[in-house]
Amino acid sequence: MTELFESLGLMRSLTDFFLSSMDLEKFYERTLTTGRIIFKAKGGVLRIEDRAKGNLEVHCCIGDYHQHPLDQRIAKRVFFTQTPFCLNRKGKRTPFQSILCVPIQGKGKSFGTLTFYDKEIEPFQFEEKDLWLLLVVAQQLSFAIENVTARREISTLIQEQEKRVKQLSTLWELNKALLTTVHFERILHLTLTAITIGGGLGFNRAMLFMVNEKDRILKGAMAVGPDSAEEAGRIWASLSQKRESPSEWIAQISSPSENHSLLNMLVKEIEIPLEENSCILSRTVLEGKAFNVEVPQSEEGWIQTRCKRGCSLGSEIGCYISEHLSHNPRVYSFATAPLWGKGKVIGVVLVDNLYNQNPITEEDLQYLTMFCNQAGLAIENAMLYRHLEEVHQKLKEAQTFLVHQEKMAALGELSTSIAHEIRNPLVSIGGFARRLDRSISPEAPEKRYTQTIMKEVRRLERTLSQFLSYTHEEPLVFKELDLREIVEESLSMVIQGDNGGIQLVKEFSSSLPLVKGHPEQLKQAFFNLIHNARESIGERGVLSIRIYPLSKNGVSHVRVEIEDTGAGIKPEHLHHIFNPFYSTKENRFGLGLPIVHKIVTTHQGQIEVDNRPGKGVTFIITLPAEEEKEDEKDSRGR
Amino acid sequence: MKKILVVDDEESIRLLYKEELEEEGFQVEVAKDGKEALAQIPRFKPDLITLDIKMPGMDGIEVLKQIRLFERQVPIVMCSAYGEYKQDLTTWASDAYVVKCADLTELKNTIRRLLGLL
Repeated sequence: MTELFESLGLMRSLTDFFLSSMDLEKFYERTLTTGRIIFKAKGGVLRIEDRAKGNLEVHCCIGDYHQHPLDQRIAKRVFFTQTPFCLNRKGKRTPFQSILCVPIQGKGKSFGTLTFYDKEIEPFQFEEKDLWLLLVVAQQLSFAIENVTARREISTLIQEQEKRVKQLSTLWELNKALLTTVHFERILHLTLTAITIGGGLGFNRAMLFMVNEKDRILKGAMAVGPDSAEEAGRIWASLSQKRESPSEWIAQISSPSENHSLLNMLVKEIEIPLEENSCILSRTVLEGKAFNVEVPQSEEGWIQTRCKRGCSLGSEIGCYISEHLSHNPRVYSFATAPLWGKGKVIGVVLVDNLYNQNPITEEDLQYLTMFCNQAGLAIENAMLYRHLEEVHQKLKEAQTFLVHQEKMAALGELSTSIAHEIRNPLVSIGGFARRLDRSISPEAPEKRYTQTIMKEVRRLERTLSQFLSYTHEEPLVFKELDLREIVEESLSMVIQGDNGGIQLVKEFSSSLPLVKGHPEQLKQAFFNLIHNARESIGERGVLSIRIYPLSKNGVSHVRVEIEDTGAGIKPEHLHHIFNPFYSTKENRFGLGLPIVHKIVTTHQGQIEVDNRPGKGVTFIITLPAEEEKEDEKDSRGR
Repeated sequence: MKKILVVDDEESIRLLYKEELEEEGFQVEVAKDGKEALAQIPRFKPDLITLDIKMPGMDGIEVLKQIRLFERQVPIVMCSAYGEYKQDLTTWASDAYVVKCADLTELKNTIRRLLGLL
């Protein structure tokens, strides 16, 4: 009885030891030493299952134990059958052998076995009492193992939760930053910055490609990332000193117009057909899912991207990487994620860790995908907003045009009756003034009166003619014209012979495409402009005329600039100079400019005014040129 | 002496044309509208007619058509305050189209050309 109490006391102290230390390894050793005392055994072994290998292996041992294949078999049997085993054997020549082996089990499964060998005192064999005690010890052991395992699992779970909460709060911060603007370029830049900064998603580089549905291509839009490992190091060093939240950093980041990095310029050049299904970028769009790609080092010692068909990913980014690395990476990993907007993929984000060569884990990819879902919506919003602005602008232009057209129509109706009512009296006044003039001798003072009447009538008649040609559409016959000749003719109508104090500067391009137009109308338009310029200059000044070819939106145009050094146009009149109903005493242009405007727009051209009040004004006329063959161009060069 | 009939609803224009053309050596009669003109032609037998387009009652184009029904040879000069009829009229019934102007040189030259005096 005393022996049993002693044993129970030892077991109790064993439990206390575990509860105070919670150290499983030390507890294993202590269990073996205590067990050896309780069972008076020569040795003891603790076997624990190795889950990965599916093996039962000796975890720790004490004293002598039977290192015999049979012993291993016994342990396995106990482990799998979960049944205790006791063997006492008296060999003929060998000393007495005894084994006591029990499974360590909890919740129906085994963790391992606990075995003691060879009782050292009489009767040199284990009794039933020993077996029961060992079962209790094994029970304690299994409680301890379960306890520790549960603790480990809980702490792992807590860590994961903390990480997830941190990720979500970062995502929230980044999304907050995305909501600060609807400007398209800015949104793209914010997205890529969020992906690359350490406090954000922390990738080394990020590139963004947008889907162009019309041309079925994927086009590089923007990239953010250092151009070299040295630059990367500098940026990280400066960022590590910052302590603000991601949304605060993002707000401070420079605007995209300052993004002149080599990578950004390179990516902007990339165009990949969507049908190129060997390219990972187009696949990301077509399949609408993220990819995580690891490219191993080639035998030659540098990395080769997977696509060998010379697609842009292979040729541009791949070449770029191997050229600009300070040292070749062993592997190159990159990942892509689709940008979703309104049920379709609107773009792709490509990320890599070129400089620190961190592997891209599935978790990183998941995080990236989550962020890209948000970013896709923000980008789509920005696109819609941009579209809205464009439409709004067009609508405004159309409205202005309509208002102008309406004024024109009203003017047309008026003009017919006005013409009749004014022209006839003018003919009489002027006609009789002429008759009178002829009967007055040149020396008589009355001669000046008749001359004045005739001059003023002539002026009124000219105004009336301009007005009528402005309001009444005439069917136009367009011809191919050389604007240099037209302008020369207009010029000769204004300046004849002596220029006086006016310096005339002509800069005519030697090679100029033809323009399709109505010669008389264009002559009239340039006459009006040159005449105005001449009037504006007064006694002394410079009149400059420039004619040169120009490519606008890929279409060939011819531009004529007429510049004077006169007084310019008063800013308050500037908005009205093309309005036929607008007139003030100071508006010396009269109907001249509305007519020029009408003629230029009839020719699908544009008229712009560069006004410098007090210093002069430049009228800039841009007319679409005829499509032409190269040989024609050569033959017309002056 | 060549005879000219001036048709215009404005009295001052009729007076101006009459005096100016008489000074050029023509015999001139005037009519204030189409009706008067059509009545005068058989009696006066003009060598040339100037015809205003915009007139109350029968306009110049209508008068032109009426004259052409019985008088196919006499040259007719259309005179108008504005050029918008120029496009369709020069090509058919009339012989010339002149936009009214205080300076009558163009009208006089046209008349002389049509009468073969140049």
